[in-house]
Amino acid sequence: MLSKKPAVLWTIAKKEIVANLLSYKFFIVILLTIILISTSFFILCRDYKGRLADYELIRAKPGEPIAVIAPNPLSVFAKGLEDPMTRSFEVSVTGITARSGQKSGNLLFSFFPVPDFLYVVRVVLSLVALLFGFDQISREKETGTLKLMLANQISRARILTGKWISNFLCLSVPFLLVTLLGLAILSLSPDIHFASRDLSRLTIIILVSLLYIALFLSLGILISTLTKRATSSIVILLFIWTTFVFIVPNLGTLVAGQIVNPPSVKTLNEKRQQAWTREVLLGIKEKNRSASTWQGHYKAIYSEMDKVEEDYINKSNQLVRWAKNINRISPVASFVYAVTEIAGTGIGEESQLKRAVISYKNSIFTDLASSLLDNKKKDYRAFIYRPRSLSEIFAQGAFFDTAWLVVLNIILFTISFFAFVKYDVR
Amino acid sequence: MLRTIIKKEIQNNIFSFRFIIAFVLLVVIVPVTILILTDDYVRRMDEYSQRQNSVEQYLKNYAHFNRIGTILVPSQPPLPFQMLIRGLNPDDFILENVFGEFNKDSLPVMFPLVDLTFIVTILLSLIALVFSYDSICGEKEDGTLKLMLANPLSRAKLILGKIVGGMLTLFIPFFISLIIALLIIHLNPRVSWSGANWGTFGFILLGAILYVGFFYSFGVFISARHNSSSASIMTLLFAWVLMVLVIPNLSPYIASFLVPTPSQIKVGREVDRLTSEERDELGRKLSKERQQELQKLYPVLIERLSEADTKERIAKDPEYRKAYEALSKETQAAWDEANRIQSEKANTIRQDLQRREEAQTRLSIIISAISPLADFLYLSRDLSSTGIQNLIHFDRISRIWGQAFNDYERQKLAALQKQNPTEDWWNTPVDMSDRPRFIYYEEALASKIKSSLPVFAVLIIYSLIFFAFAYFSFIRYDVR
Repeated sequence: MLSKKPAVLWTIAKKEIVANLLSYKFFIVILLTIILISTSFFILCRDYKGRLADYELIRAKPGEPIAVIAPNPLSVFAKGLEDPMTRSFEVSVTGITARSGQKSGNLLFSFFPVPDFLYVVRVVLSLVALLFGFDQISREKETGTLKLMLANQISRARILTGKWISNFLCLSVPFLLVTLLGLAILSLSPDIHFASRDLSRLTIIILVSLLYIALFLSLGILISTLTKRATSSIVILLFIWTTFVFIVPNLGTLVAGQIVNPPSVKTLNEKRQQAWTREVLLGIKEKNRSASTWQGHYKAIYSEMDKVEEDYINKSNQLVRWAKNINRISPVASFVYAVTEIAGTGIGEESQLKRAVISYKNSIFTDLASSLLDNKKKDYRAFIYRPRSLSEIFAQGAFFDTAWLVVLNIILFTISFFAFVKYDVR
Repeated sequence: MLRTIIKKEIQNNIFSFRFIIAFVLLVVIVPVTILILTDDYVRRMDEYSQRQNSVEQYLKNYAHFNRIGTILVPSQPPLPFQMLIRGLNPDDFILENVFGEFNKDSLPVMFPLVDLTFIVTILLSLIALVFSYDSICGEKEDGTLKLMLANPLSRAKLILGKIVGGMLTLFIPFFISLIIALLIIHLNPRVSWSGANWGTFGFILLGAILYVGFFYSFGVFISARHNSSSASIMTLLFAWVLMVLVIPNLSPYIASFLVPTPSQIKVGREVDRLTSEERDELGRKLSKERQQELQKLYPVLIERLSEADTKERIAKDPEYRKAYEALSKETQAAWDEANRIQSEKANTIRQDLQRREEAQTRLSIIISAISPLADFLYLSRDLSSTGIQNLIHFDRISRIWGQAFNDYERQKLAALQKQNPTEDWWNTPVDMSDRPRFIYYEEALASKIKSSLPVFAVLIIYSLIFFAFAYFSFIRYDVR
């Protein structure tokens, strides 16, 4: 008796896999996965090549007070905040100016979300996983094969597990094949170079993507165990998908804006311009101008602006924290945060970069100020940025997001198990 | 007979499970979003008037012409339509391109804002598909299709009735949620809409109806090509994903492949090089040439004197002074010539870049017009002054204001110089209360509608094409 138990599970799984392989649904899904992932890799690799060429032009020459970081090869998979992060930041006495952003004059790039790997997985593969799961139970009930299966000595747990495993294999194997093939082609291309550090992060990203796909599969199966007809489950499925993928993450940001109101960047900029021009005017109008009176003016500007900027930074950090936590109701947001942070193009990395640029400015500030008064050209030390290590990334939120995905997965599967146990199979 | 079909469709749908879910979804999400966006609009209006006040305060005491360009910057006030539709704001482009602002809002990049366009394009299109995917094949599976056609009913009437009935059902929750949203907007005492705003709203609503009509026809078409509803929904979702989520996103990349533009950074560096290093070289060359010519005329210039000696000699020797003045005039002319030549070159490059970027943008729009989502997006954004049209319009009226302000500056400076020639009027506080002020106004509704007519036409043609396809597919449909 004991030797039969694993065999039954695998029989069910095999039956499901064969049924899937022969279905129209599977064909459409494979087509979609191949088209989307390969197109995404191709497009973003070209984009990366362009940005790398631009970087060669804007990188700081030795001695210049410019802070620029090189484009991140992992941005091909998760573009995230790569564009604002790879601007060249020129440091001067007046502050930090962000010059030469990696942008194009074609405004349509900002109209629609970037079709990177993260987008394909988050939007399309989640839908696909739901589609695989939603009619597992309800269709078998409609066609009458569910009661036939249960007429055998098979436990409901084994049926559900077998269905889950087979569908997950049908989903993940093509996905992995296409992704790894695309990755191999990318690494052969001379334009892009993945360090070993990048590859380990990429592996984690792929694993998290599999976790995400599994979660939506469990959700689909759950819906299937709660409904009697396949038609009603597709409606629920589509609306849940829309809510989780599009509505909650985007609405959460709006709601957070109700709670915390940072001043707008425009206000900040205007205050800065007014403080500067006012002090310069006062300085010019003074009768006895000297280095010390100019120092006095600078001090006035900085004491005013530092307060305003600090208030802005604090409030906007608060806003980001609130928005992230509200958005995390949807596992999709957690997935996006986890992947972008691991890839190094997320919100956490961006604020760390900003802090690094500000501390760079503070460190060369006295030199800048004195060179302005001496009117001599100086050589400033280079800006070196150390991106966060994986352990730092996980400690600062990625672990929570991944764990949330795992926990949600377990919860969904448990609920579907209990629902299936009570399911009326007639 | 047609009316009976329509009534039957409506009644069938209203009591269905999906109608309830669609109703709840729309009636909850639309008002919540509008509520939040209205609040945000009021807050931004307050911030805008605060900013205006602080500029006025500043101008009272510290307005001086030398740096006035960084203080008086054209800015767009919050528009009442931004409670429904958010798009592009010209202020963001100014912050990035003119000021190089270091601080930037990072959240909107990760998760774009929910607004009416978003809800309509994603939610309503999906709802339309969910209602129509089994309109033909579902009835065939139920067996009611052949029963219907056993009556003296033409297939054309049947399909027309289905589409009209289905769309009317869809509009019930949509219009109810819109009415609630409009109530929320207008019950807010800080908000008032002009006639133009209502006109805009009407046209955007028309666009939304066309958009939904397209998806409903498309759903019926695919439904009439399949025999099982589960196959039908698969094909529909595949097509929906491509049309709504993939093609618009890919279009700018495809366009950049077909019409490549040099990167802005490269052009920027080239322009910098042309107007500094190359210009310096050219200037030196030209002025040397002229110097040599002059030396033939005035042999005294061949002597090389130190600065102090030159000054002495100018004071004493009128011949030398004439020669020296001619030299400085020619040198200046040479440098002016160098500047002119080089800036012409730079302008050619810049204009070439701009032309190519515009061509690429146009191509992306054309490619993305395959997707009805992109069509509706352009329509709604351009009509509500939150799209590319508005950026161009804003740029134009900013330039006009800029010209007016420059004229004012010249006149004022001349007048002040006459009064007091010794004062440095560039760096002195001046009373600028009589300056021309930048007042933003939206484009006229008529011109906005005219420019969005092509997109309307595309949507109408699309819906008609798929209605025709649905009809022709249904004619040959095996209803048994």
